[in-house]
Amino acid sequence: MEKLDYPQVQETLFREVLDNGLEVIVLPKEGFHKTYATFSTKYGSIDNHFAVGSQVPSKVPDGIAHFLEHKMFEEPEGDIFAVFASNGASANAYTTFDRTVYLFSATENIHANLETLIDFVQRPYFTDANVEKEKGIIEQEIQMYRDNADWRVYFGLIDALYQKHPVHIDIAGTPESIRQIDKETLYRCYETFYHPTNMLLFVVGGVDAEEVFRLVRANQARKTFAPQGDINRFFEEEPAPVKMPRRVAQLPVSLPKFMMGFKEKNGPGQAKSALLQETASKLMLEAVIGSSSSLYQKLYDQSLISDSFGHEYNSGPGYAFSVIGGDTPDPDKLLAEIRSALEALIAGGISEEAFMRAKRKKIGSYLRMLNSPESIAGEFTRYRFRESDMFDVLAGYESCTLEQVNERLRAHFDFNQLAVSIVERPKG
Amino acid sequence: MSLFQRGQVRRIRLHVLPTKRFKTFAISLFAGLPLNEESVTPVALIPFVLRRGTAKTPETIAVRERLDDLYGAGFGFDVYKRGDSQIVQFRMDVINDRFVASDVSLLEASISFLGEVVTDPLLEGTGFAGKYVDAEKLTLRKRLEAIVNDKIRYAAERCLEEMCADEPYRLHPLGKLDAIDGISSSSLYGQYGQWLNEAALDLYVVGDTTLEEVTELVGRSFKLGDGQPAAYAKPSVQKDVKDVKVVVDQMDVSQGKLNMGLRTGVGYDDELYPAALMYNGILGGYPHSKLFINVREKASLAYYAASRLDGHKGICTIQSGIEVANYERAVDIIKEQLNSMREGRLSELEMSQTKAMISNHLREMQDSAYEMLAYDFNGVLTGNFRPADELLRRVEGVTPEHIRAVAQGVQLDTIYFLRDRKEA
Repeated sequence: MEKLDYPQVQETLFREVLDNGLEVIVLPKEGFHKTYATFSTKYGSIDNHFAVGSQVPSKVPDGIAHFLEHKMFEEPEGDIFAVFASNGASANAYTTFDRTVYLFSATENIHANLETLIDFVQRPYFTDANVEKEKGIIEQEIQMYRDNADWRVYFGLIDALYQKHPVHIDIAGTPESIRQIDKETLYRCYETFYHPTNMLLFVVGGVDAEEVFRLVRANQARKTFAPQGDINRFFEEEPAPVKMPRRVAQLPVSLPKFMMGFKEKNGPGQAKSALLQETASKLMLEAVIGSSSSLYQKLYDQSLISDSFGHEYNSGPGYAFSVIGGDTPDPDKLLAEIRSALEALIAGGISEEAFMRAKRKKIGSYLRMLNSPESIAGEFTRYRFRESDMFDVLAGYESCTLEQVNERLRAHFDFNQLAVSIVERPKG
Repeated sequence: MSLFQRGQVRRIRLHVLPTKRFKTFAISLFAGLPLNEESVTPVALIPFVLRRGTAKTPETIAVRERLDDLYGAGFGFDVYKRGDSQIVQFRMDVINDRFVASDVSLLEASISFLGEVVTDPLLEGTGFAGKYVDAEKLTLRKRLEAIVNDKIRYAAERCLEEMCADEPYRLHPLGKLDAIDGISSSSLYGQYGQWLNEAALDLYVVGDTTLEEVTELVGRSFKLGDGQPAAYAKPSVQKDVKDVKVVVDQMDVSQGKLNMGLRTGVGYDDELYPAALMYNGILGGYPHSKLFINVREKASLAYYAASRLDGHKGICTIQSGIEVANYERAVDIIKEQLNSMREGRLSELEMSQTKAMISNHLREMQDSAYEMLAYDFNGVLTGNFRPADELLRRVEGVTPEHIRAVAQGVQLDTIYFLRDRKEA
């Protein structure tokens, strides 16, 4: 067991890679009642074309990682939620572009709950009947998102940005794609991606690290996993240009929803440079269009934006893009205003003052995030799966210079790399 | 479990929880008035205007810069209803100075900021600054118009509106669209003065501080006249239902949203409140509950099917997203679950699982500064400062008979369905 101290944020981590390859990390939080644990596989919606070692590559239906997540909760004895409930734990799971996360939070029976979490994720149980039954439920989940304008404008933007990369595919798939899913394909995905070497267990809260490690070691020692070769994930090469500059969808909304995004010409590079690019980009966006920027205030004063207006930077295996937007009465005017402001900024650069303010804001929000076990577990896993360390992010913000941010400003806002997504009221 | 220390500065009640557990100070100011048709809209508008500028920092951009300089101190507000009151909650969170090299006390700067925003606004002539009032009237209008964008929330709010059509609770906490135009900067300023003088004001701070320090800072930062703190009126939770009201709205949606409103007759302060929590938990609070198991897992009709208890109004609501064609089936299955609750068909397992889940929730709250203060604020609202560990013991003691007693009093009031535009 390795001990990692982070004195600046007053946190200590314990880490161990077990014999079967499973990585376990424990972050004890003194004084916390709750323990929050996540058991994650580096497997998300984008991993739809893969092979282990020299196997023949498989292509699987869209939405299968998410479907698998749903099905893991079913055991021969019934629903695993009941077992968690008996031990007072609330359990859940979610699927993102590049990972699937199973989790519980509880204040008692932590050991029993940890065993339940590990065991149910390591015990798939798929039958023809239970796979069929799930299709109705997931179809309603898909329909729910179809009616959600915020979700539609966001995923519409990603779809407009990416031509080939599977990040543009809906995480839950479509009613048509999930109909093709059967238990054999589920087992194939499971065997590939739920091997301990591809997984991370993260436990944060009022726990004793040594006890957690003892429990997990004993649990894993009772199970056998055949050694597995490396997982190869295949992504078709993504051309630099966006798929379409403008994508419009119609839903009953009070005002149009607008998002614009710039796609990086190249996906993020190696872990270190990817982290640097991410931090510098987030700082840059905050300084340029954050809520205390002069641009934000000007747009608000013109009634072109409201409190819903925001920005983010999103990157992962083979993709990286920014998102800027919110509700607006006039998407074209908003775009034109932002464009001319960005062009002026690219020429003049971000001021030292705006840069320092953005930096303080980012550092503050990073430290606030550390109050939340949920955010810590989620963010730590996200960075870990990209071979970086969440606790380096603070240093990343601190060491970032105005020059780097200005460089990012000029490199990122390339108007040939722009796409916009709009959700508006049906006409007539 | 942690206890709040209480104090008072003029009309503000203070509630301070000294703890070193968090990396931040969590600050909340609650200002509550009875929900009222005439005042609901201007009162909702007040915080929108206050955040734009203060006498000392008139420009909005400078206000935001001040917050960013405090290491991105979080500042925001919410307007919502609890019982029959309209509550404006201002929130601030700021990191504890010990993590950063700050040359000012971040707690002091934050309370001083909040005091300025709430009690020392930017004025112009006989009212608030006109340009801010105009801009925020538009913002409020957009917010009210945007309710329809989120179909799940829209359906939930429409259901309550129909259910409480002849009670103040029908009102949306952000007010009414048609009342916005009539507000002027001087009429709003008049309303603001009244609000400051009449609202129940409660300031909470959770973090590495003391009651003495907070008392001193609030005394310095809030410009308020003398007077005693106001109390909250007890909401009415009793109502007899004669017929079940059925309301169907049509809109361009892919999925139907089915909502039901139930009257429990049990309020937060009621002896049976712990049993009402259990009723809701067994019916639809969790993934092991009757609604999830029967609507989702057994019938595959929905992705979500759940219930929620509003203890301050004694209302339990059910919500589910279904295919429009499955309306009758879903309603039947849900009614079956209500019947089985009424007949007391509860297994020991359902009892123990639900108790474990509620207890867990009550213990987990202690890890979040905002949840702790929100829970304590229930005491201010109802006069019943029942500590979380006492409620936990009471929940543990709930018997099937208690739940049956609640279930016998539960009345289905309204069924609301938001469906597509195809022929009915």
